[in-house]
Amino acid sequence: MKILVKLGEIFGASRLIPIESVHVSGVSYKTLGEAPIDFLEALADADEKVSVEATLNPQSFDPEILAERLPKNLVEMQLKICEIFDRLGFQKSFTCTPYYIKRPSKGAHLAWAESSAVIYANSVLGAWTNREGGPSALAAAIIGKTPDCGIHKAENRKPKVAVEIGASLENEVDYGALGIFLGKILEDKIPLIKGLKNLSLEDLKQMGAALASAGMVNMFHYREGVEVKEELEKITVEPKDIKKTVAELTTTSTPKPDLVFVGCPHCSLREIKKIANAIGNRKVRSDIEFWICTSRPIKEKARAYVSKIEASGAKLLTDTCAVVTWTDKLGIKTIMTNSAKTAYYAPTLNKAETILAPLKECLKTALKE
Amino acid sequence: MAKYVVFHGRGIVKGYCKAEALVSAKPISFLGDVDPVTGKIIEKRHDLYGESIKDKVLCFPHGHGSTVGSYVLYSLAKKGLAPKAIINYKADPVIVVGAVIANIPMVDQIDIGKIRSGDLVEVNASKGTVKILKSAEG
Repeated sequence: MKILVKLGEIFGASRLIPIESVHVSGVSYKTLGEAPIDFLEALADADEKVSVEATLNPQSFDPEILAERLPKNLVEMQLKICEIFDRLGFQKSFTCTPYYIKRPSKGAHLAWAESSAVIYANSVLGAWTNREGGPSALAAAIIGKTPDCGIHKAENRKPKVAVEIGASLENEVDYGALGIFLGKILEDKIPLIKGLKNLSLEDLKQMGAALASAGMVNMFHYREGVEVKEELEKITVEPKDIKKTVAELTTTSTPKPDLVFVGCPHCSLREIKKIANAIGNRKVRSDIEFWICTSRPIKEKARAYVSKIEASGAKLLTDTCAVVTWTDKLGIKTIMTNSAKTAYYAPTLNKAETILAPLKECLKTALKE
Repeated sequence: MAKYVVFHGRGIVKGYCKAEALVSAKPISFLGDVDPVTGKIIEKRHDLYGESIKDKVLCFPHGHGSTVGSYVLYSLAKKGLAPKAIINYKADPVIVVGAVIANIPMVDQIDIGKIRSGDLVEVNASKGTVKILKSAEG
């Protein structure tokens, strides 16, 4: 409660408002660390319970696929964290794309952490949420309310800067690179991005995730017809900006990664279908691991494609992703991915070299001819 | 009597300290940019790469990226690796929540471009002031 009142004071809220749902980050033992476990445990021991629909970010392993390959003490600590969240009443969703399980209502107020989900909810789904810190989302889950500030107020959702795209964006990697590039220069200014053509919802997901990783901004406008009354600051993105950003997100010249990873943020049903069809009857190379990450409910829905993917030797993981598990303890030193967000974080969070490449190239690398 | 340069901002988490400033022109994501085991900046693209934030008055424009950053600040504080104070140009919820649960004095709305790494500064977060007691150049 102290956390929420403090946030409200600082960001100019005069009241707390009810929320439709909460999504918390800080679930993986790898990213959370040991110290905050006492903090979480104290809440559970005090018999606190969530009072609204509340979902969890990914944890550090898929119980069926990765648990036995990881040191026992790490697995035990993770299970302890999951047990605490269970006692608090959270759904065991373990995904960064809770909106694929249940789409929030348009115009609903939410208290979501997980920056990629926040930016997608605000910009694509039309729900309203600040980018909560892990603990403030947790506090909001318990009281069912959040301070009425930041982009819970209509006047703070207006674009502040117009971005002209002077480059042609070919695939999800280019959209991700655009996000990283803009994240670094926008500070907290909401952009109106003009000239985006023929892009899919998954391209928007990639762009938003990257934008929120490199930046502090938690919303973007991209649809035509956004009303703008004031003169906006202008930024033009040149082809060289995209090219340079893509190049910088690859840190090695080695052509063979230890892991090819798709599913940051977690895959949609449509992406899984696309991957399964693209794999066809091909097999994964024996010297490369190929992970596709999603949530458990989406894997359930994708059952028809799962067998095809698994027959190739690729692994369809749920509950986790490459960034929040200990890839270094699995002997993975180089990660190839189509996610700019993963390429951005992996050098520090996975101590890994990165290769950023579109899905088509990821598949070509992972599979035998 | 020597005249000190004093900046007036907004106190976010109360507290007082005197310590050496460590100033960055770049935003910080505590998850990823900071090693929770050593308290050092491990992001190679960061202008503070290799520096330890322990016991410093850490000045940076604002936070970015992961919302787990709040917990990382809490962990650093529990291990004695946290900064003595946080000074931002513009506070964001992730850093604010981290400073609250870790009880790290915090002030924002400060023109951090006028503070240099190595300056000895006095932070009075209850009043929202940052004073340069001794400039890094002596």
